[in-house]
Amino acid sequence: MSNYFNTLPLREKLNQLGVCDFMDSSEFLDGVNALKGKKLVIVGCGAQGLNQGLNLRDSGLNVSYTLRKEAIEGKRDSWKNATENNFTVGTYEELIPEADVVINLTPDKQHTAVVNAIMPLMKKGATLLYSHGFNIVEEGMQIRKDLTVIMVAPKCPGSEVRAEYVRGFGVPTLIAVHPENDPEGKGLVQAKAYCVGTGGHRAGVLKSSFVAEVKSDLMGEQTILCGLLQTGSILSFDKMIEKGIDPGYASKLVQYGVEVITEALKQGGITAMMDRLSNVAKIKAFEISEELKTIMRPLFQKHQDDIMSGEFSRTMMEDWAAGDKNLLAWRAATGETAFEKTPAGNVKIGEQEYFDNALLMVAFIRAGVELAFETMVQAGIKPESAYYESLHETPLIANTIARKKLFEMNRVISDTAEYGCYLFDHACKPLLADFMKHVETDLIGKNFNEGKDGSVDNRALIAVNEVIRSHEVETIGAELRKAMTAMKSIKTV
Amino acid sequence: MAQPIVHITNLDLKYQHRLIFQDLNWTINRHENWLLRGISGSGKTSLAKAIAGLVRFQGNIELNFDSQSSLAPIVYYVANWYQFKDLEGQSNFYYQQRYNKQSTETTATVRFELETYGQKHQLQFSEVEKLLAALGFADLIDSTLIQLSSGEHKKLQLVSALWLKPQLLIIDQPYNGLDKLSRQNLNRLFEEITAAGTTLILISNDKELPAAIHRFAEVRDGKLTEVSADEYTLESETESKPIPEFLSEAPVSSTGSIIKMAGVNISYGEKQVLKNINWEVKSGEKWLLQGPNGSGKSTLLSLITGDHPQAYANDLHLFGNKRGSGESIWDIKKRIGLISPELHWYFDPLATVKQSILSGFFDSSGLFREPDYTRKTQAAELISYFGLTEYQDNLLNQLPLGKQRLAFLARTIIKNPELLILDEPCQGLDQQQTQYFNKLVDELCKNGTTLIYVGHFESQLPACIEKRILLENGEVKSVENILESV
Repeated sequence: MSNYFNTLPLREKLNQLGVCDFMDSSEFLDGVNALKGKKLVIVGCGAQGLNQGLNLRDSGLNVSYTLRKEAIEGKRDSWKNATENNFTVGTYEELIPEADVVINLTPDKQHTAVVNAIMPLMKKGATLLYSHGFNIVEEGMQIRKDLTVIMVAPKCPGSEVRAEYVRGFGVPTLIAVHPENDPEGKGLVQAKAYCVGTGGHRAGVLKSSFVAEVKSDLMGEQTILCGLLQTGSILSFDKMIEKGIDPGYASKLVQYGVEVITEALKQGGITAMMDRLSNVAKIKAFEISEELKTIMRPLFQKHQDDIMSGEFSRTMMEDWAAGDKNLLAWRAATGETAFEKTPAGNVKIGEQEYFDNALLMVAFIRAGVELAFETMVQAGIKPESAYYESLHETPLIANTIARKKLFEMNRVISDTAEYGCYLFDHACKPLLADFMKHVETDLIGKNFNEGKDGSVDNRALIAVNEVIRSHEVETIGAELRKAMTAMKSIKTV
Repeated sequence: MAQPIVHITNLDLKYQHRLIFQDLNWTINRHENWLLRGISGSGKTSLAKAIAGLVRFQGNIELNFDSQSSLAPIVYYVANWYQFKDLEGQSNFYYQQRYNKQSTETTATVRFELETYGQKHQLQFSEVEKLLAALGFADLIDSTLIQLSSGEHKKLQLVSALWLKPQLLIIDQPYNGLDKLSRQNLNRLFEEITAAGTTLILISNDKELPAAIHRFAEVRDGKLTEVSADEYTLESETESKPIPEFLSEAPVSSTGSIIKMAGVNISYGEKQVLKNINWEVKSGEKWLLQGPNGSGKSTLLSLITGDHPQAYANDLHLFGNKRGSGESIWDIKKRIGLISPELHWYFDPLATVKQSILSGFFDSSGLFREPDYTRKTQAAELISYFGLTEYQDNLLNQLPLGKQRLAFLARTIIKNPELLILDEPCQGLDQQQTQYFNKLVDELCKNGTTLIYVGHFESQLPACIEKRILLENGEVKSVENILESV
């Protein structure tokens, strides 16, 4: 197997990277008809597997689960999830041959083994569904030519997929058809029906390609979503400790701050987040985020370049082969950071205080979101895809940090994202060392507005607002958010 | 003479931006136990919260505790609404989560919740065990919070309050969701704590009260007036408005059997919550579903509303189709008008009154689609019918509880469904509103609507009810015709 993307001529690379179509709701009027009466068999029953299955069944579709023999015999959690919700569970041999659609919701790392095991059992003309394109694009898995290969990826954690469905809404979803495997031309119709089955069609569906999904997803998770949130959290916390801020306060400010700050981001983009600061603070946050962008841009570009060239997946797969040596070492190291080990103090922090006393975090998030977005778009990824993989997902990841800090974030995200996150974090911290030397507690830990009279130069403020508001992530974001206005706020605090 | 425990002078109190009390004076002497009643939206809850120091006000509220007393020198307020968090401190629960196995394990157990509470207030665990037993709650100690029914949540709230033994205890709607026996047991516990020295204020419109309550006040038009036990101000008879025309037509109904269950069993692990249920509801029948708290009523209803995953593994027919034969839950919900405490709890916090009512057309917890002109017109008619026009653009959850309920009732009936499932529809309503709503149910049901009604107060039921199914411990205890027995 060799990297699929690298086998393509440049023309086809650009062509596939550029698939990006925000679908109109009229595209879903056929409901689940294309899958009605078909046998849907889900491989794996974790959070995504179980919750997607519950939704599909409640949409009138025939759903069952197939697990490895050991998982069934050992009555593992996946087996319990499925059987206790009254689904039929069977081995690959029992269920795959009957399946019209096989839905692979196992972790990336297992894809090659799982697909090699199920492919020979699949009946002629069946469909194989992924929720992430890594196996096809990076590992270059070749699928039998009679099989249709599609992707449906809800852009939210599994529990949200369920919660939004039962209240009659859904979560934003990305779909794709693999151009090498659409022998009957039914891929798109089935992917759309699957979206209706999980409720995704109500919250906005983006038609993408396997290539665009992988290259943007990897970039987003490594840089802004997980990488920078980790780096920013640790640096902010360490700075506060260095400057004598109470550890409990510092821990709480960071842990819950990322969530409070990014909730504004979710509702109204970078603009809304920056507008939560006073005028003086906003100008300051703008200035330092510009500085951060200059410092970090080469690192963001390196990540995007390595993702495009396949270098990233090559080194990660080496680590898989080495028994996750690096991953496990980095995971352990993250568990040992002072931030991780200091419990949030029992102090009350008001909602506005999370902005006023954490200007640095706001600057980190603006810099990270804009950089990730800009770098992706420069690499040929369309703005809509870039938006989902940067700004849209940031609050979702921030929510995991609020729950149980970085360890929890890294537990919830995929191993692939976790690996990329550590890679970024290790490169980013030294890069920011000089910058951090000049950071004082007015930027993190104390209220920036304190002792200032709040006056600003009108022209400077207007210019700053103009730059923030006219950024492409803002214009495209305003458009896409319209489709998801009804998404509820996820809040821990 | 000892100072009064509560001394309110010149109190000005706002709800949202509206002034609800001006220059209010009220004195509560120690060992005087009061009942506070009034129509919904009159300001009872706000006043209670002001006394408990939970909302801002102008004027004076002086609290004097007895330093000699062994009781905790605090005022404790029990809200009419129970909110809990999961083990990670979140309260992001969703409708129907209770029935999904795997999603129930993220919340604390009752035992853990009580132990934590007891440690915080330095209470003896052996004391709470007595209270649990007295309210028939002891078996639930190892259940997780999300598995509890609405009546059981209420009991947990009450147990915590009684265990604390505060000098002043204010309970908002103590009887909501409680079965008859539990209400009697609760009243006995009220007698005990008041005898031991707690001053009690109950906010309720119910009539079965503990004997310890001997002073009665009514809140009305921004004033608090002392009344006698049986003195209820008669509202100027609200002329019964004709129901909107679009609701006076007969709903499109299936014929024959609407619900048919044969040997239905539901269990969570070892715990069986429904056992061998056989029940048939025919088109046009009007049923009362009764049973003590925790007997399985909500679970039974969740099978009918498409909310329980275990429905797929049981012999269940809805509207003539076997469950799991290709129908979606939305196909089922389309034919049902549902109101329940759970639906209310998990409803979209961002929805306005109008949006909430319109969402009844789509069976969603919030409005996610643009309704057409006809539906908007029908909603406007219904909003006016329920007297909610002035609130229609307010956020639903910012309204007083009674008004929220009215909006939910409008949502329930707006599509003129063939099956109405009313699970304690009148919780939080005053007597007049309850009567008014029950008359409306009678009116709607004349047209052949099928009804399943859950209510713990026998005196507050629609007249049209003709059959009753009684659950006990997850089993059908009896099925009978009640029209004939009356």
